[in-house]
Amino acid sequence: MAELTGDLLDRRAIRLAEEAADRDEAIRRCGEALVDTGAVHPGYVETMLARERSVSTYVGEGVAIPHGTLAGKDLVHRDALAVLRFPAGVDWGGQPVTVCVAIAARGDGHVELLASLAEILLDADRARALREATEPEDVLALLVPAPEDSNR
Amino acid sequence: MGSINGKDIHKVVVACDAGMGSSVMLASQLRKQLKKFSVTVEHTPVNSIPGDADVVITHNGLAARARAAAPDKVVVPFQVFLGDPAVTAVVKAIESGGEVSG
Repeated sequence: MAELTGDLLDRRAIRLAEEAADRDEAIRRCGEALVDTGAVHPGYVETMLARERSVSTYVGEGVAIPHGTLAGKDLVHRDALAVLRFPAGVDWGGQPVTVCVAIAARGDGHVELLASLAEILLDADRARALREATEPEDVLALLVPAPEDSNR
Repeated sequence: MGSINGKDIHKVVVACDAGMGSSVMLASQLRKQLKKFSVTVEHTPVNSIPGDADVVITHNGLAARARAAAPDKVVVPFQVFLGDPAVTAVVKAIESGGEVSG
């Protein structure tokens, strides 16, 4: 599991002091993190913007999960996530977003981390901890399920 | 289109455009909620909904596409990703019987 996460959520893709003037810029920042870590072809970023224009990826608690369209799947090199935090917030079609968990996936390698994100969003305290995280370790501790996920 | 009784639901499919984000998250929650029942939960792109799906859950904005792709299925649209009443109603129907319509 540890090595799986190393590949899936590259430390260089955890960027917690980002700034963006609007949603499109935030998505481009997310796309850059995925491009920089070799997870996607640069063309994937446009499909992330396209997806957001058709259906918002806002999932609640100040969190959005931008990702590409079905057509963009071919531009994904490997399953990967990026976590970007915008401390000043970004207007996401009327909802304030602080954290983006950007997704690139061809397969199901990321399913467990998204399942644990869903759990976090259903727990107001942990959701706040995610929004306020300033260290990559804090993000990893929240998102990476502990073995048998019961140390909390 | 039509309706189905919760007792007859064996496969729930959560569909979104790419099948990599929102559907994955919602499917993980449903799997957890339905662990005790013999119901399979899958996440797929909206244009590859499997033929043996009994109920298709999808975002409002994709419901028309889901209905076109799977005209003989019960399609349940939702608005919010976590805790949507439409999704809760499907879980309740599976737990205790009752009709799900779409």
